[in-house]
Amino acid sequence: MDSSSLQPLLLFLQSLISGILVGGVYALIGIGLTIIFGVMRIINFAHGDIMMIGMYLTYNLFTLAGIDPFLSIVVCIPLMFLFGGLLQKVFINRVLNALPQNQILLTIGLGLIMSNTMMLIYTSDYKILTTEYSSGSFSLMGLSISQPLAISFVITAVITAFLYWFLMKTDMGQAIRATAQDRQAAQLMGINVKRMSIIAFGLGAALAGTAGALIAPTYYIFPQIGSSFTLKAFVITVLGGMGSVIGATLGGILIGIAESLGAVYISSGWKEVLVYVIFLLALLFKPSGLLGKSRM
Amino acid sequence: MNTILELRHVSKFFGGLAANSDISFALEKGMIKGLIGPNGAGKTTLFNCMTGYYPPSHGEILFKETSITGLRPDRVCRLGMARTWQKVRPLVKMTVLDNVMVGALCRVNSLVKAREIAMEQLEVVKMAGKARVIAGGLPIGERKKLEVARVLATKPELLLLDEVMGGLNPAESEEIIRLILEIKSRGITQMVIEHDMKTIMRISDRIVVLNSGEKLAEGAPAEIVANQEVVDAYLGESNA
Amino acid sequence: MSIITEIIETLKKTPPARLLTFLALTGALFIFPQAVDSPYALHIMILVFLSVIMGGSWNILGGYTGQYSVGHAAYFGAGAYATMMMMQFREIPPWFGMLAGVAAAIAAGLIIGSICFRLRGPYFVLASIAATEIMRLSALNLKDLTNGAEGILATEIPPLSIGSALITDFSSKAPFYYIGLVFALAIIGVTWLVQHSKLGYCFQAIREDQDAAHSLGINPGMYKQLSLTISAAFTSLAGSFYAVYIGFIDPTTVLSLDMSVQIVLICIIGGIGTIFGPVVGAMVLVPLSEALRSNLITQTLISAGLVSEESPVGQFLKENLAHAHVLIYGILVVVVILFMPEGVLGFLRKRLAERGSKTA
Repeated sequence: MDSSSLQPLLLFLQSLISGILVGGVYALIGIGLTIIFGVMRIINFAHGDIMMIGMYLTYNLFTLAGIDPFLSIVVCIPLMFLFGGLLQKVFINRVLNALPQNQILLTIGLGLIMSNTMMLIYTSDYKILTTEYSSGSFSLMGLSISQPLAISFVITAVITAFLYWFLMKTDMGQAIRATAQDRQAAQLMGINVKRMSIIAFGLGAALAGTAGALIAPTYYIFPQIGSSFTLKAFVITVLGGMGSVIGATLGGILIGIAESLGAVYISSGWKEVLVYVIFLLALLFKPSGLLGKSRM
Repeated sequence: MNTILELRHVSKFFGGLAANSDISFALEKGMIKGLIGPNGAGKTTLFNCMTGYYPPSHGEILFKETSITGLRPDRVCRLGMARTWQKVRPLVKMTVLDNVMVGALCRVNSLVKAREIAMEQLEVVKMAGKARVIAGGLPIGERKKLEVARVLATKPELLLLDEVMGGLNPAESEEIIRLILEIKSRGITQMVIEHDMKTIMRISDRIVVLNSGEKLAEGAPAEIVANQEVVDAYLGESNA
Repeated sequence: MSIITEIIETLKKTPPARLLTFLALTGALFIFPQAVDSPYALHIMILVFLSVIMGGSWNILGGYTGQYSVGHAAYFGAGAYATMMMMQFREIPPWFGMLAGVAAAIAAGLIIGSICFRLRGPYFVLASIAATEIMRLSALNLKDLTNGAEGILATEIPPLSIGSALITDFSSKAPFYYIGLVFALAIIGVTWLVQHSKLGYCFQAIREDQDAAHSLGINPGMYKQLSLTISAAFTSLAGSFYAVYIGFIDPTTVLSLDMSVQIVLICIIGGIGTIFGPVVGAMVLVPLSEALRSNLITQTLISAGLVSEESPVGQFLKENLAHAHVLIYGILVVVVILFMPEGVLGFLRKRLAERGSKTA
């Protein structure tokens, strides 16, 4: 095979790889959302904005204290966890029994407050977080792989594996899963479901914030970035099955690939439309997800 | 035409579970047919198939000698078969009168006429005084009566009652029995799912017994009580 | 026609005081531009009318039929873009462009409805958002058709004449005022008609319990689609009106999620499922918005001595409060959902009912 016929194949593999890498971060966002939905049946429309706050947090740690974004995750996770828990305790808790439409409107409102407050503080200017490796890449079998994306993928994989272990093997993880499966039964078994909700939301927020930290070196940072990620997160969770962590992982990677291939083969302007079309198709034909389950 | 409803080999599967399996029976006009069986026998599933909530997996349902298998619920209602729900479903934010008017609007387009029909039905169930009350504020006994009034307003020829006495005290149950007999006297055919055996014995002309999705027995009340299989499956649990 | 008999019957039953108040207010609104000579006041009223139309249209689908679309910007944008594209690119006057907008919005509604109405609750909301995002992104990308992100600027509105008689050349705000008033009265009238007709009963039954309604002879698919058609048509009229009045549109203003949220907000603040809820919502949101935009609040705080102009707080407020109206929307949504889910009207009604039962 001569090099000119290798090109299209290389291009395809390249887009595939970068799609998978980005997909890992998407998966993280999706997992956070699916945990929140699984435990509380709440559709968190502020999810992308929580991620945005994670991005700004990382940006500030970098510009003010020189902490590398990937290292600042250590700070990001607990802070965002507390933030999420607070949101749940103060706001979300009050609408757990309200109409789902009202729940969504509430989270939409919270998201608006978050993004517009950041806009007041930081203005809508795009901020860029550049590290030495921001545009770095290395070569693997003739393919050029973005360094930051690769690192974030590895970190994502580690976090996801840890999360899976936590949910399956620890007492608290099992309590969370029990609450997700049947809230009343869990309560009757002595599980403090209110606390589980707070923890679930905290977890979701921590994951979203971490995702924000991971993509901070590669994306523009601005207050409105949240909404497109929220919608993407929903596509991912619907594809994967609301409440399923594995589903969200697979869904995230799938969407990452779809977007990457879409940007290359259709156009970058239309790649988001592709994602939304997939979303609507999934809602219509496979509402309980590609794996067919809506469980955790 | 004397047979108003006929089920021919109706089956309903949910995945691998056979909720209804090869059910066949017929209803004659004007009769009250009891439908009994232990919990999970498939009684409500059968009502759902009949009224089009979901189509049966196999079999045919004939209403007034025409096939209605798989027709949508609103069409089935307009053809003359209506049902109440095991878990009562009032239109919570609307008034009692408005609730019944929704049923009446199945047959008329004018609100004035619908109001008249609605008030008539409320008289029948003795709730005319509560016409302006918001349905959400009613206790369970009146919610059940409201549901009957509402479904009567659709002018059904066949009425399916799904555990309409569930959760009621003896006085309220007596009231419902009176209603059922009153409905019968108007020529409306009824099929009644009920757990209280004494009631079923009193009101039914014939009884169908379901167990684990299959038809176990069919016959006059006296026959059913004497049927050993039925006793074993169902009556043996409660006091006979 | 029985509907006319219905109207007369209902009017007979309305307490005369209420009827007179309504007629008096409407009359006052009609002579308002003659009595008050302030373009700014007219501008505020026009914005109120616009909000009434937006909120009132959504109310038909969301309030009465219970389908919470958070994607109504699709129909607003359809009207805005159809009108502007025809006016600027084809020199077709907006009163015809408006009709094209309604047609486009109804078509969009049929497509979006066929997808979304199969879904319930939160999935419906999400699908409605996704559908509108697809429209917004399409408007951004189809630059040859819509000018993309640059938007469309109105250079001149053709004068309106019937035959050879000139009615208006749109140089003042008064014609916009009257058009807005008529549209606002129209949506209120349509809402009233819906509430007092079989349609309204079917819509509300679907809202309360779709399966129960289905079993009572109501075809939910048909009625939901009908509700959306009415809602989309009027939302698109609002969009067309907005486009011609403001004179500039782009995908970020007329097709955005912010716009959809704003439309919903007008309705839920006032009280969904009521005829005048959107009016109350408009009367709360528009003055609040304007007060922020025009720095009125900042100025008041400064002149009241609570904040000094030179202090960092004062400077901050001066520079930023004007842009904060979306933030205020967010806060309002949260406050209303948490404390007044029935809206201002519902809240007041409950209070009055409580007071009534205490004194009774």
